[in-house]
Amino acid sequence: MSTVELPRISRTRATSASLRLSFLMFMADPQWLIPSMIAPVVFGLVAFELFRGSGPYFLTYAILGAGMMSMWGQTLYGSGWAIGQDREFGTLEPTVQSPTPYVYVVLGRVLWNVVSGLIGGAIVYLVVLAAAGSPPTVPDPIGFVVLFVFVMLTLASVGILFSAAWVYTRYSGFIQNVGEFAFYIGTGCMFPVVLLPFWTNPIALVFPPTWALDALRYLAIPGYVGFGWGFWPDIAGAILTTAIYVAIAGTVFKRVELHVLSKGDLSDY
Amino acid sequence: MTDVPAIEVRGITRVFESRKGFLFREHTRTEALRGVDLTVRSGSIYGLLGPNGAGKTTLVKILSTLLLPTSGTARVLGHDVVEDSDWLRPRIGLVLGGERGLYNRVSARDNLRYFADLYGLPGAEREERITAVLERVDLVSAADRRVEEFSRGMKQKLHIARGILHRPQVLFLDEPTIGLDPKSARETRKLVRSLVSDGVTILLTTHYMFEAEELCPEIAVLSKGRIVAHDTVAGLRQLVGGDRTLEAEAYGFEDREVELLHRLPGVSKVVSEEYGPRTRLTLRLRSPETTASDVEAALPGHSELSVRERRTSLEDVYLDLVEEEAR
Repeated sequence: MSTVELPRISRTRATSASLRLSFLMFMADPQWLIPSMIAPVVFGLVAFELFRGSGPYFLTYAILGAGMMSMWGQTLYGSGWAIGQDREFGTLEPTVQSPTPYVYVVLGRVLWNVVSGLIGGAIVYLVVLAAAGSPPTVPDPIGFVVLFVFVMLTLASVGILFSAAWVYTRYSGFIQNVGEFAFYIGTGCMFPVVLLPFWTNPIALVFPPTWALDALRYLAIPGYVGFGWGFWPDIAGAILTTAIYVAIAGTVFKRVELHVLSKGDLSDY
Repeated sequence: MTDVPAIEVRGITRVFESRKGFLFREHTRTEALRGVDLTVRSGSIYGLLGPNGAGKTTLVKILSTLLLPTSGTARVLGHDVVEDSDWLRPRIGLVLGGERGLYNRVSARDNLRYFADLYGLPGAEREERITAVLERVDLVSAADRRVEEFSRGMKQKLHIARGILHRPQVLFLDEPTIGLDPKSARETRKLVRSLVSDGVTILLTTHYMFEAEELCPEIAVLSKGRIVAHDTVAGLRQLVGGDRTLEAEAYGFEDREVELLHRLPGVSKVVSEEYGPRTRLTLRLRSPETTASDVEAALPGHSELSVRERRTSLEDVYLDLVEEEAR
């Protein structure tokens, strides 16, 4: 019926608009200083004391452990919370009603949390550096940084799926609060998964960060013994599981949208 | 304009089911819409009136693809709201209004930038369009202030600005002037009229009868999930018994007096209401035979009797229809 020419919806533009809005909201709300600036300082100091004297690479262990703890919370919890805020503000309805598929809005929120998590990681690095008085020995610094960012992206893929739960139900915060630290331990953020009881390992392998973190330790800590298969299979496993998560997210969001449109509780908080 | 109606609703129902409690689950079932039929011509303003809980917002949400109907079909611009929601969303606008629905910690302009990007407004045009809609709702001077500093009326204006930002062909306005001061409300009504002049079809829900009467050539009255009447304002007046109303007030009337008024020529309905010690009889008149002096003559012996004639208002129509449905 209509002959009006409509602008094309750019998914990249929608994602960057969501990322920009998340940044603006972050800057406008002082409460985010606690998880993004203060918590990394605490995590860094605790990890430094925890791993002190545990071997020649204890500084790397401390940075990885505390950095991951900080980034995990920011990326995963922050992503879900951003959607929870959309419920709280009543902005979930107009956003879902826009022509942009909601998953791209979530992607923007998650990417901002990745950036925010990286800032947290940098703070941890500086804190541990200041506490130790010397930088950690990392055999391949460039590879370390690249893999570090990759770990964040694997975290983001889990964050996107968690976000779907926030769209699905207003009670998802409870599930996320309960699950956050179980996942944190289970994926080997603080210490290698191989140190956990064997039965936990297959569960841990479901999560992309488990693979990516194991690869990161192989790269950063000479002599590290993680999963027996080594660095490259870890990378392959991380890429594969991340791709599966992203693919599932695309389908899940469409189904979740149908579910909430059927339930009619998008404006409930 | 085309012959295809902008909005066409056939037999829409919507049932909300919810469960409360953990051990002892309590199941509630609410029928928000019970077989609604509606047709809105392209390029017109259609008013939807109804008390709280009548189903107005539910219907608006279904038509704007935010809620799935339980049964029935709804088409907007000739497209099914369930099957073709992706096609429809860029072409329709929704203003739900209220305190929520905006990013309060960022500026009005940044709110609009975000939604402009979600609606794919071309980058070169975006800022120009944002300024244009802010001018249209008289918010330019507050554009760079945080929304949390806004009054309720300013938020309402921003809701409207967002709703029209992407130049929708059909706009759903859910109580757009609620919370606005009289001047802003008048400006909003002017804006609504100008949108229709631009060819936008508007479905407007409102509690304000004068607003519906002023803006909407056609009106539907929704009560308990059903459309109890739909017509022009003049048609609705006839439906409830005519466009003239006589009101007689005194300290109580006897039943035989009410019966007597019923039998006066052209009287279609007599409604009795108590106001403290006084009683008001409202007479709807289909024809001009009966006048105020006839009523005074039919009610002798009331020293404090006052009778006045006025035009049947849309509020009279609305109250008659809704009360009839409630009975």
